[in-house]
Formats: sequence, structure tokens, C-alpha cells
Amino acid sequence: MMDHARTAPLTVAPPEAVAEVRFDAAMEAQIADVLTRYPNPQAALLPVLWLCQERWGWISTGITRTVATRLGLSPAFIEGVLTFYTMYQLQPPGRYLLQVCSTLSCQLCGTGELVGHLKQRLGIDFGETTPDGRFTLVDVQCLGACGEAPVVQINNDYYTELTVERLDALLDRFE
Amino acid sequence: MLKLTIDGTEVQVAPGTNLVEAAATIGIDIPTYCYHPGLSVVGQCRICFVEVEGMPRLVTACSTEARDGMVVLTASPRVKDARAAVMEFLLENHPLDCPVCDQAGECFLQDYSVEHGLDTTHMVDIRRTFPGLERRLIGPHVVQNQNRCIHCTRCVRFTQEISETHDLTMKSRGNHSYIDTFDGGPFDNPWSACAADVCPVGALTVKEFRFRARVWHLEDTESICPGCSIGCNVTVGHLDREVHRFLPRHNAEVNGWWMCDYGRCLAQGIEERDVARPAARSGGELRPIAWSEAVPMLVELLQSRPAARVVASANLSNEVLYLVKKVLVGQLGLEVVVPVDRGRPRRIKNGHGQWIDSVDAHPNSGGARLLGLPLVDAGQLARFVGAANGPLLMLDERAHPWLASDEAAATLAARTVAVFARCETVLTRSASLLLPAASWVETEGTYTSSTGRVQLARAAFTPGAQAWPAWRLLHGLQAALGIPSDPDARPERLFAELTATVPAFTGMTYRGLARQPGLPVAAEVSDVG
Amino acid sequence: MEPILLRARGTKNSRSIAAYRSAGGYRAIAKALKMEPAAVIAEVKASGLRGRGGAGFPTGVKWGFVPKDSPKPKYLICNADESEPGTFKDREIIHVDPHMLIEGIAISSHAIGANVAYIYIRGEFHAEALMLEAAIAEAAGAGFLGKNILGSGFDLEVHVHRGAGAYICGEETALIESLEGKRGLPRLKPPFPAVVGLFGCPTVVNNVETLACVPHILERGGAWYAAIGTERSTGPKLFSVSGHVNRPGVYEVAMGVSFREIIDGLCGGVRGGRALKAFIPGGSSCPVLPADKVDIGCDFESVAAAGSMLGSGGLIVMDETVDMVWALENLLTFYAHESCGQCTPCREGSDWALDVVRRIRRGFGRPQDLETLERIARFASQGMTICPLGDAFCEPIKSFLKHFGHEFEAAIAAAQPLPAAKTPVLPLRSGHGWYGS
Repeated sequence: MMDHARTAPLTVAPPEAVAEVRFDAAMEAQIADVLTRYPNPQAALLPVLWLCQERWGWISTGITRTVATRLGLSPAFIEGVLTFYTMYQLQPPGRYLLQVCSTLSCQLCGTGELVGHLKQRLGIDFGETTPDGRFTLVDVQCLGACGEAPVVQINNDYYTELTVERLDALLDRFE
Repeated sequence: MLKLTIDGTEVQVAPGTNLVEAAATIGIDIPTYCYHPGLSVVGQCRICFVEVEGMPRLVTACSTEARDGMVVLTASPRVKDARAAVMEFLLENHPLDCPVCDQAGECFLQDYSVEHGLDTTHMVDIRRTFPGLERRLIGPHVVQNQNRCIHCTRCVRFTQEISETHDLTMKSRGNHSYIDTFDGGPFDNPWSACAADVCPVGALTVKEFRFRARVWHLEDTESICPGCSIGCNVTVGHLDREVHRFLPRHNAEVNGWWMCDYGRCLAQGIEERDVARPAARSGGELRPIAWSEAVPMLVELLQSRPAARVVASANLSNEVLYLVKKVLVGQLGLEVVVPVDRGRPRRIKNGHGQWIDSVDAHPNSGGARLLGLPLVDAGQLARFVGAANGPLLMLDERAHPWLASDEAAATLAARTVAVFARCETVLTRSASLLLPAASWVETEGTYTSSTGRVQLARAAFTPGAQAWPAWRLLHGLQAALGIPSDPDARPERLFAELTATVPAFTGMTYRGLARQPGLPVAAEVSDVG
Repeated sequence: MEPILLRARGTKNSRSIAAYRSAGGYRAIAKALKMEPAAVIAEVKASGLRGRGGAGFPTGVKWGFVPKDSPKPKYLICNADESEPGTFKDREIIHVDPHMLIEGIAISSHAIGANVAYIYIRGEFHAEALMLEAAIAEAAGAGFLGKNILGSGFDLEVHVHRGAGAYICGEETALIESLEGKRGLPRLKPPFPAVVGLFGCPTVVNNVETLACVPHILERGGAWYAAIGTERSTGPKLFSVSGHVNRPGVYEVAMGVSFREIIDGLCGGVRGGRALKAFIPGGSSCPVLPADKVDIGCDFESVAAAGSMLGSGGLIVMDETVDMVWALENLLTFYAHESCGQCTPCREGSDWALDVVRRIRRGFGRPQDLETLERIARFASQGMTICPLGDAFCEPIKSFLKHFGHEFEAAIAAAQPLPAAKTPVLPLRSGHGWYGS
């Protein structure tokens, strides 16, 4: 069962706003704090990319370039890392990122029905964003909450034991 | 030394040697894709499986160090089955487009298919493709076809460990992963084509060589890159008197397995010539003449008063510069200079992971220095030429970029100039006597690099048209001047004469050079002033 | 059995340090810090504790591999990258009692001589990362972390490090690569992490559940712990039960109770009163077992004897309605998606096997397909790859064919000839493998 307060929408910077990026003092302070945890700057790469994604909603090539300079890494290397992991968004997502678990236990418990409904209601397929920029629908592999299947992660929050009705009620609340 | 047994044969190797290298010492070729002796070991292609007694599972030979008493089987049924399976996995998604693949003939997949693969496949499904990454020019010299990639990551490791440019990366993961640059930008570093060299398949190929020849038709000649003072060892690939490529040739002391793109591209047109036969200017027109006429004319020019001046070249071999010193300076008492251009900075990583930097743009300024010939820069060269009262002999039309300048053209316009040349330049256009020179690949000789290594470059083929190699010209002069000389002169014998005369070269033999990747000279070769 | 790891489940504010301390928490660390590290390791060895992440390697033995005389710093990494389908026990521990984990980390760090520990948590567990950070702050405030813990002279910093979506980072060397800021590619072994691990230094990687056991072992003794469970599978074990049962969730049992007791007793039986068809006992990479094996005990040895593995204790229950061809396709979709792409057999084989099974399920199977699948499963497992992901997708193939081969044969018998038209390879994140698609 979910007991979250309402999931906050993602702050998603439009591409032109993150074509070139400079870290402000607040970001620099956060990065400096992250760097204290590791003996070398490279180890801070994943945390720093997370900070950027929290800030801008996704990782543009401009952000990658700035991170590369800040941590002394090559931008190509960082792109290799970014594309290895599935959670870094390389295109601007919708304000609500619907990540539907597609692995066995969730499918045994009826995710298929949820997905059919979601695609119909939103009019989009996996990997697509609604034209109003509200929702992006993606299928993800096991979210590690199989006991509460079916599970959809919306932004950072897990929504579990979902039914079509519950999902509809949720989506109605998201602006 | 460690003692181990490979396929029943006892082998002795140094500690730290892996099983691929240990097997190679007794001529056993363990197949490898991801393993490259110049790169870090990742053990991920899984083709080099061998069986080691006492180990329950097969091990990858590249990542397993030899140990004392080890008993290794490289061709047991288990090993063969595993290799066949790996081959099948690799070919499962491979496009099998060998007829139109430029790697054909030097493709590891092809070779190992015959040796280690199955003659059939279980694959009936759709092959993976990478739309947009097929036949894509990813940089000035490298073409990518990701469909053929076997994900060995040699190219990525090259850019991480050797060029240190970190500009290639594996993107995405699993079966979908592919090679790319940051944001798909150009793959442009000074050694980019080496990434194609290390590619064991046709995923990365060199633009300049694509579809010029099938490699099994090529003839290979061991040579040296003429591009700078480092002296990277190269293999010249040629066919029917046409040079198709330079490939780096392994020399741990100089260039490792690598060479720069600039040097590699020097292969393009290196044998082409504008100057086909001797010619003499009369009434403003260049008139073809025979060598038998040309040599006496040159003798006359060199013996005229006021005395002639000679511009030699740091692009000429040790043997040629030796003859310059002996004949032109020693016998004729002429003033000779060797122009040296610093050129652009070039560097290469040797087989020990150390960078070697060029000091100038010439393959043999080291030899000129050891022979005691005066090296001059552009200003000194201009003054030397400008102050000449008599005629001039230019032994290399491309001895220095200044020679192609307007200033040079103006200075030389009113003078009598004999030019030994292959290509048309401002020099040849105003030459009084034009003599056809053999190209780099048509000349055999030894060269002394800036790090003091004497290395042998073989001739790929005999000089085209009526061209002569420089040693023949100087030797011809000797004869015409009536100076006693070796009737059987050729580079090998001239080198012997040189080693007997010039202390820095003492003890070297031509045969020794042919067998070894160059020899260090006895004396210091210091930087150009 | 009295609940041990989940003793606080259902109690008020169970995540708070106050609740943990009132239940006796942080007494074990005080005791451990008065002991020599070697004595702590000896106690853990005596407990018979085996790693709860999947491999079941004895924890005390693993700690013993850390060189004592190394001048380099040593690291402890808590593996909270819980990603094996069907496994969600570590998340439960973090939700219920994060301080138990923190105390376990502190004791274990003392045992191996680490002054820095990282908790590598999968990126999706955002809430859980925050819970851990809050617990770390509380523990540091109470003097159980930081400088000179409880006046012992022992210092320990604990940092939470979030992954970013990659199953393979649960493999300990891939985790280390990822923590170093790289692509999560498993490393060649040897050297093992205990000698050359994080930042080239001696490193121990332990699962959340493993570390959560440590305070109890220290407080109540290795012998007490060893008395729970069976002779070689000691202690309590968390089972994550999912799929077609009435009450899915995490259950703590003494190892050795039967799967029937878990499914029918604790979980209230198969959903809808239907018959059990199959169960995967230890997470999706473990071989599937048919219903007639449901009476075996849930310990490492019994499960191995039945032809499967206890793995991480992720019990996936499938009822009689499940199409096993579809179920295998779903699992292979997961493994093909999660293969890191380094080793040829796994990179190519996982996707190839998926293609074949998907084709069979869509009605285009061919008689030779089963031979192909068996061949892939044979040559992508058993050491053909650097890490066990090869085995992880091959074991399901082998076991599905062994126990449910008739369903594959039936699908192939009913198949149409292969269509001539080809469809392109689908990109990484698109939705394939959906039931009915």
C-alpha cells in the first residue's frame, strides 16, 4: 500500500535551457559535499549525475560536458556511463514518469491490464510522452517490490498493489 | 623463468607471461579477439579458452598467468566445443557481409571461423542491426559499421590507454551496446586510425584504404615512416607499383603497435611522380635529356666558379648523407647545409607506454648530425641560398617548407639551380637541371631517429620512370669525377663503408638492422639547436 | 520461530533509533568494539552465517580473506542493490529496522578494519536511500558512527551511494566498478575484492540481510545462531514471496521449513484456490521447480538436492494457469535487458534465447529450437562468462525445458511456418515481452 504524500512533479528543463550549463554556488556546494565521500572525483560521478537530474529533470549533453569538466572526466566516458544505466533520462521526460514494472511477479499479478489501460488513457506507447508534457510511460525491469505487485514507480515514489481504478484516481491528481 | 607444459611441450617463460604469449613461444596460436598485447586485458570475448589441469572450468588464456608446473591443453575436445560455441555466438548477429567488407582477408572472424567455428549455424532469427551506425564516417579517417562489431572494446581501450584521448566509448549495454563518440561528434585524434587497426573485424576501417585493394593481393614491405624524427616502423602495403597503405609495424622501442594519422596518410600518393626523366633548361624551356648527358652537366655545374652550394636534406638516408659528406664536402670542398624544419609536434607511445616526441619533421636529422653536416633553420637556409654566388644543387625539393615559399622562388629565379626531385614545386619550375629522384618507397636506406636509433627502410619496388635513388646519383658523380669508388655500390655496402668511417655507427651491420627493430647509435643525438 | 530480523515489523516508529535501542539495539556494537577483530570474525564463523545475497558463501570466511597487513585502507560495502526478480527482503529490512543494518555494518567494519563503508543501494530505492541516510545521521548523532565510536578509538564513516538502474551491479565486482563511477562491468577474478576491491583496496561486499544478522550473532553468540535452521544452513532466513499466493510478502523462517509451509501456511495458499504449478525458490535466476517439489526444505542443501538454488530467497509462485513458455520469455526479457554486454556468450546468448522463446510463444517455433536453446544454455553458463549472469539466464532455460518441456513442444507442434517478413530488432527500452502482445 502506498502512504505517500502527493508525488511532486519533476522539474524538467527545456533543451534550450540546458544546452550550456554552469553550476551555481548551491550546486557547487552539493558537489563539494559529495566529493568528500570518495578518495577520487570519478567515484562521485553517479551522485553528481543524480544531483543534475534532480535539478534539471534530465541529463543533456551540455550538462554532461559541464560534469566532465568539473570531475576531470571525458564526456564520452560519461556518456558511456549514462547509457549503461537506465534511470538517467537523456531526453526531457514528462512531469510524471510512469515506470511500470514488467517483470514476472508483477505480470503474474496483472500489470498487463494496467499497461493496456495506461496506453489507452494516455494515448502513448512505452518510451513516449503525452503532448501536454505531463506523462512519460516507460516499462522497467523488476523494481524489487514484487510482494506488492503490480508496482508502478512514479518519479521517485512506488505505487503498489495497483488496480485500474486506483491508477485512474492517481493520474487524475497529477497535474 | 617458469616451466609449464602446453599441449605436451615444455615451455619456459618469464613470470607474468600469460598463456596466450606462452603458447605463442612454441608456435601455438590461441585465438583472441579482445586481447591485444598493447592493451589492458579484459578477458571478455571468451574465444581464448584453454583447459588447465586441476581447474574445474575452462580459463581464458589471456587473463591467466603462467605458473610453474601448469599443464595446459589448448585443443582438447572441451576447448574446441567452447570455442565453436563462442564463434557461433559471435556470428549469430554478424551480418556476414564479407564480400563487401573491407576487412576481408585480415578479419579475425573469418580466420577463426575456418579454424575454430562450426560449419553450420542454429540461428534462424532476425539479426541485430544498428540503423544509422552502418557505414558511418565517424572521424576524418575512420568508418564505422556497428553491425559488424563484436564488442571486444579494443578501440575504446586504445583511446583510453594509448592515445589518452578518451573519445570512444561503449554506449548502452548488453546486446544493444555500440561504439560511439560523445554526442556522436567527430572521432578526431592524432592517432584515430589505430582504433581501426586494432579492430579485429570490419567494424572500424580506415577511410583512405577502403576498397583500394583486397589485402591478400597486397605485397608488404618493411619501412619507416618519413613523417618526422620519431621513425615509426611501418609496413608498406603495395600492389602493382602503387602504394595503398602504411600500417604501423610493431617496435616496442619506438612506436609500439601505433602510428599517427599524419604519417599514415603520407602513403597516399607517396610513389606518384611529376618528374619522370632528366631535363635541362635551354631557352627557357625544359628539354628532356638522358642520364648520360645529365651527369656530366651536373659535374660541370658542381665544378664551376664561383663554387656551387648544396642544399642536402634530412629526409635522405644515412648512406646518402655519408656520400654527401664524402664527395661533395670532402672531395669537391663545397658548402653543404641540411635544412631542418621543426614541423608540427608529433608524438607516439612506444611499447613500454612512454610517449616519444618528435624534435623535427625529418626522418634523418639524427644521421645528419652524427655525420657532422651543418643543420640550418629557415632563416639560415634563406641566407645560405641568398648568399650563393655560384650555382645551387638541391638534393630534395621538399627538404624544407621554405623552399616552397615565394621568397625562395624569388631568390632562386636568377640562379642556376640543379634540382633532384620527384614532385613539381616552385623549385622544379625554375630549375636549370632537373633530375628525377626515387620516391621514399623506391629507396632502400637506413635512417637515424631523434632518439638515436638506426633503422632500415626497404624499397617496396624499383624506382619508376627514369628516377634514380639519391645514393646512385652521388655514386654516379663520384665515378664521373674520377674518384675511386666501390664499383658494386648499393645501400648495404655504403652502410658498411659508413660504419667503418663514422664512429657513432661502429659495429652495426646491415644484416643486424634487418633482423632487429633498429639499433641505438653509440653517440648522443642531441636536439636541433 | 521468534522473529529476529523482522522483530520490529508492525511496531510504532520502528525505524527510529529510540525504538531500535529500546529493543536492545546497539548493545552488540559496544560488545564487539571491546573484542579483537579476529574474535568478531571467529564468532561470525562459529555462527555458520552464509551470505544472503544469493551465493551463500560463509561470511566469516569471506572476512578472513582480507589481508591483515595491507597498508591500504579497507572498505566494507553493503550491497543493497536488491534487483533479482522476486526478491524484496532487503527493502523490508530497510523499511522496518535500518539501524539493525547500520549496527551490522559498524560491527563488520570493525571486524575487517574498515573505516569507511558504503551502502550501494539500487537507484529505484529512493525512499529507502533517504531512510538509510536518516538512520546514519541518527546513529552518528548517538555516537555509534563517526570518530572514536564509544571511546574505542574506532572510526567509521558510512555513506549511501545510489545506483542508477542496472541489475548487474548486484554482482559484487560490477558494484565496485559502479561505485567507482564507471559502467557496471563485472571484473575478472582473481584478484578477488577481498584483496583488490574498491579503489584497488581490500574490500568486503555483504548483502543487507547478511549484515543485519551480525548484531544478533554478536549479542547472542554464534552458537545460538547456529542452532537455528539446519546444520549447514544456519540462522533465520527471509523469504520474499510473490506471484500467485494469497498473502505475498516477506517472511522470516528458520531455514529448513518446507516450501509448502511457506506457501500454504504463511502465505495462505495459492490465490483463487487454484493448483500450484511451479515455483522458483530463490529468485528468478534459480531453476524453476515443479509443484511436486513443494515439500522440500528451504535450506541451501535441500534446494540444491532438488536441482535448484536457495539464492536470495525470492520465492515466485505460479499457479496452474501460467503459460510456462511465456514465463520463460518474461525472464529472458529481463536477463537480455540486464546483460552488461561484456562477454560474448551472455551478450549474444541472452538475446538469442529470448528471440527463440518469443518466436515459439508467438506460434512460429521450429522443431530444432529446443536443441538451440539447450545449446545456448550449455555454452553461456558454467564459467563461460566472467560473472554468473550467464548462469542466471541459462538455469531458467534448462529448468523450464526439463520440467515443462512438453509445453514448449506443444507450442512448437502447433506452430505455423516462419513468416518471410522480418521485423527489426527492438530498442532497449521498448515494451516487448508483454503477455498477449
